[in-house]
Amino acid sequence: MLRTVKPKNARSKRALDAREPKEVEDARTAIFVRGTHTGEVVNGVMKELMALKRPDAISFSKKNMIRPFEDASSLEFWAQKNDASMFLVGQSTKKRPAGLVIARTFDSKVLDMCELGVDKFISMAEFKTQKSTPGHKPMMHFASELFDTHPRFIQLKSLLMDFFNGEEVESICLPGLEHVISVSLAPASALQTSGVDSTQDDVKNLPKVHLRSYTIKLLPSGTRVPRVELTEMGPFLDLSLRRCQAADPELWKAAMRRPKLKKQDIEKGLGKKRKNMEVDEMGDLRGRVHVAKQDLGKLQTRKMKGLKAAPGEGESDGDSGDDAEGADGSARRKKRRRD
Amino acid sequence: MDVSNILASHAAKFQSIAVEKDTPLDVDTGLLTVTDLNPVDEDSYKDNLEEYLQSTARDGIQTLIASLYALPTRASPDGPLAQLPPPTTHLPRAKPLPKPKPPTKWERFAAAKGIQKKVREKKVWDEERQEWVNRWGRDGKNKEKEEQWITEVKANADVDYDPVKAARDERKSRVAKNERQRLQNQARAQTALTDREERKKEIERTLATSRVSTASMGKFDKKLEGEKKMRGVKRKFEPTEVPIEKEKETSLAILSKIDGDARRSRKEKGGDDVLNVRKAIRTASRGRGGVALGRDSGRGGARGKRGGKR
Repeated sequence: MLRTVKPKNARSKRALDAREPKEVEDARTAIFVRGTHTGEVVNGVMKELMALKRPDAISFSKKNMIRPFEDASSLEFWAQKNDASMFLVGQSTKKRPAGLVIARTFDSKVLDMCELGVDKFISMAEFKTQKSTPGHKPMMHFASELFDTHPRFIQLKSLLMDFFNGEEVESICLPGLEHVISVSLAPASALQTSGVDSTQDDVKNLPKVHLRSYTIKLLPSGTRVPRVELTEMGPFLDLSLRRCQAADPELWKAAMRRPKLKKQDIEKGLGKKRKNMEVDEMGDLRGRVHVAKQDLGKLQTRKMKGLKAAPGEGESDGDSGDDAEGADGSARRKKRRRD
Repeated sequence: MDVSNILASHAAKFQSIAVEKDTPLDVDTGLLTVTDLNPVDEDSYKDNLEEYLQSTARDGIQTLIASLYALPTRASPDGPLAQLPPPTTHLPRAKPLPKPKPPTKWERFAAAKGIQKKVREKKVWDEERQEWVNRWGRDGKNKEKEEQWITEVKANADVDYDPVKAARDERKSRVAKNERQRLQNQARAQTALTDREERKKEIERTLATSRVSTASMGKFDKKLEGEKKMRGVKRKFEPTEVPIEKEKETSLAILSKIDGDARRSRKEKGGDDVLNVRKAIRTASRGRGGVALGRDSGRGGARGKRGGKR
């Protein structure tokens, strides 16, 4: 474990403060780790995925003796040391050729992992087209009904979204949208779509994953919304699912905890409570208005002669029609009217 | 004049932006993600893989772009900024939620008294020098007394009274006091309830409820060794005589609880098991409510639009 460091100067204090947990988090930083042996394919895949992930990527150029599914302690160590929360481990063995492990951490503990085998890889360099600018947010496209039903693919979708696009932003520059990462599945056999119990085992039966990246071109369409055309950008990957490690329910629950809604969000109606508004039995929206308590003492009722102030009270009672009366006289008249 | 030809030729110039799918696409604009839940078309998949993938991706992205362009925008030097809604897909956090800082003694006092926090400016205006100077720190205003070249001394002061030293000591003692208070606050924050202690309290509370949750309310349960006797709730009675104002208030509170709560009355909904009245109204009025429904039926179909007869 790392020892806790006490900052000695303001600069290192700022650096440590930047690592503190935040309410709205930044994009996950990914560490690209090479295993004991990585073939040419894995090297290429990692390089290109890193190009897509930049600038939130750290490359470990040396080889590491690591087996994430057996012992994740070094991942946890690196996560804490580098303030990173995502890993891409490339390893090629005889049993599992060209393997990629995507791992995600929470509080520098491994949350979940998924291993993918690379079946086909076409590099960016093979397409002589324009590439996207590093650091731009990609748009993501997932195509298959399994992304909503099958736990393995739900996890894969969540991992890939976190990898490429996890950051929550308030606004985005529309001309800055340049590229698309599309993840599609091969047609699923009937067994997978119907059977829920096929969650585990038989990894062979799971459909292949096609990961494609395109750049977009916006053409005028005669309306406000432009027409989209896609151009191949690369890399193109055909992946197959291998081992996986689902998240520990306790840890997952802790990781999914949301911050409390801000007061203004609640007032906008995003939160749960909208004060003094209600939909009634008949489906009508009803509002309640609170009015200050009415002072009935000041209520003007029918004017009667008998209720007028006694004549002895004010001496200038007779000349009420006189315009040249003094300021105090008119004030008195007003007072009388109010009574 | 027939404009259909012109319209058709105009439409032919541009390609369509409409996307038709069996299942509507699931768009999460907050994370710029679109999910196409339609099953994969096997024939075209086998026929030409790349073309098929690109065309489905194009359709999906077209939908996403359409929803992005529908968002409210704000101008910026680089182009329009679309204001994204919060994402609908929840992704796990990378770090736990930040813990709130334990309040200092002053902060607690200020909260109790309703004292607002004021930010003191670091610079103050120096009348003599006619410029802004630091309140503290280098050439700070708080060192003014120590640095002035002449100081008034009372006639009855000691012989060895050093006004500069006295001012300096006073300032230093203020700094020391602040530091002492900071350390005390720190110590207090450390002794505050940790997660573990809070959990312990919670367990104790659960245990207390479960102990009285048997049929005999725990009277005939086997006692464990070292089990503490439970402390019950001390009953507190209202005084028999209260001012009339207070009595009125309590009675009114009970009354308003009985009939005034609209939320409760909503739950006891009309209708029976067969007909859900709320739902029926919603369907009949197309979600616009009973008033709108009454207005429509009262007007009658033949009269047509509002204000047509004016």
